[in-house]
Amino acid sequence: MDSVGEDCNELKQQYDACFNSWFSERFLKGQTDDSACVPIFRVYQECVKRAIRDKKINLREIDPIFETNSDEDNANSSDGQQQQKGKS
Amino acid sequence: MKIWTSEHIFNHPWETVTQAAWRKYPNPMTPSIIGTDVVERRVVDGVLHTHRLVQSKWYFPKWTHALIGTAKTCFASERSTVDPERKQMVLKTNNLTFCRNISVDEVLYYEPHPADANKTLLKQEATVTVFGVPLSHYMEDLLTSIISTNAGKGRQGLEWVIGLINTEVKGIARGTDEILHSTRRSIDEVTESARKSMDEISAQAAKAAKAMHIT
Repeated sequence: MDSVGEDCNELKQQYDACFNSWFSERFLKGQTDDSACVPIFRVYQECVKRAIRDKKINLREIDPIFETNSDEDNANSSDGQQQQKGKS
Repeated sequence: MKIWTSEHIFNHPWETVTQAAWRKYPNPMTPSIIGTDVVERRVVDGVLHTHRLVQSKWYFPKWTHALIGTAKTCFASERSTVDPERKQMVLKTNNLTFCRNISVDEVLYYEPHPADANKTLLKQEATVTVFGVPLSHYMEDLLTSIISTNAGKGRQGLEWVIGLINTEVKGIARGTDEILHSTRRSIDEVTESARKSMDEISAQAAKAAKAMHIT
């Protein structure tokens, strides 16, 4: 599967391979340490964020879970939609 | 506003289905999905949180073009959580394009089937809202039927990926550690080549600076 940034495809494939094996072999087996793919993720992230900026894609608000370490994000909460509409 | 819901049972355990869910694209049944990118990903309190950007192509009948524009590349934002202890995967998607007139929110829940742990139950719901354009109801009906068709294809696509994974498991060639190791090695290569090109750039810059001084 391609990336939004054509030049990120190779990094994305490497990252996906790393993530998929981490997810099935470690995460699903109860090992939640996610540092294994961090180095490739960082390189891939830089590339993707550049592509998103270049293409002027507006991702709206970033989920609070990624800004702080709070776990207020609840999969079943219904106020996510309102937030999103208020922003646009 | 129009709400669409659906349920489906996969004859595979939750672990298999969630692995396949990450690898769902590309598959031959949903060629409309043309790209996915992870924007953020983190494990918080044992739960994996992911934000992905999904790129797709939607084709609408011609009569709608004047209302919402022709089919272009659309972007959607997908936020998901995977809780391995509760065995629940939730994916919430909302569209980022289609102008301001259309809002599509979709939620998928993957959980073990309550009566059979070897099966997985998928619950799906979509909310479509079209506002500020004429024929809103028709547009909502149209989008809902597109979503319904796509959902069917999506499930077939997922089955296809599960088949692929099961084949891989049988003939597994590389262990996890080897994959993780080779990933690390290729990062070193990337960093190395980036460093090389930086060196070239600085060499050229130095050369150019020198040339400017001379002239």
